[in-house]
Amino acid sequence: MAYLKTTLKGYTHYKGRTGQFNFLLHRLTGLGTVLFLAIHIMDTATVYFFPMLYEHAIAIYRTTLFGLAEVGLVFCVLFHGTNGLRIAIFDWFPRLWRSEIEHKWNLVTLAITLILWLPLTGLMIRNLLIHNFGLFGG
Amino acid sequence: MASQTLSPILEGTKVNIKPNFENIAWKWMRYSAILLIPLVWIHVILQDILVGVHRMNLDYVALRWATVGWRIYDVLLLSFAFAHGMNGLRQVLNDYIHHPKWQRVISWLILLLWFTITAIGAVAIIGGVRRG
Repeated sequence: MAYLKTTLKGYTHYKGRTGQFNFLLHRLTGLGTVLFLAIHIMDTATVYFFPMLYEHAIAIYRTTLFGLAEVGLVFCVLFHGTNGLRIAIFDWFPRLWRSEIEHKWNLVTLAITLILWLPLTGLMIRNLLIHNFGLFGG
Repeated sequence: MASQTLSPILEGTKVNIKPNFENIAWKWMRYSAILLIPLVWIHVILQDILVGVHRMNLDYVALRWATVGWRIYDVLLLSFAFAHGMNGLRQVLNDYIHHPKWQRVISWLILLLWFTITAIGAVAIIGGVRRG
């Protein structure tokens, strides 16, 4: 428990700027994605084990709450992938591992994530408004 | 001298280490990650945005899995994504739980959970949609 406390305290006291921010976001987006993935494998598996339950699971995914969670999930997947690619590229060219270069590319990673995520979010919100609120002739 | 010994990695020094479990697990994370970027992104854009959950039902899954290619695609997703995620979870937990005994317990639990869920998913993809 002492270790856990020290580690978690480090997150709030250490001032690692964008590097620390991307590290924490990488960790959280990864955990979020694997949690969803575990549930998602099980709900898809119902098509074989309990086909009647599949429609029920899909009905839950169609709710507005889960529609918004889906927007978050897409962010998780895009950020985790972009940031992971940044880390892999830096490891291929270890000379890049200098704080000022890292800082710049941490910001670029966030920018790329947002550039990919915002249009997809627009389309998902549009889908939600069509199917759950009857807008755009839905 | 001190600065030289502190930064061999920046100078591109190669160090040969006999691979152990953690070394292989690390490589698995890196190589699966590179495959997962196209695999997962295409899956998400196709299923969540282009098709969308409102147009999904048993017929849709049956239609998709009628093509062998999409079944293979889903098997790849299942095997690469979930193993990457569960090993990531193990790495994260090892950052907070340092006692070797508990780390072993967690590793075995995660292995069991990974195997169970992967097996359930694999049976479903191979078995396909069953009509009641």
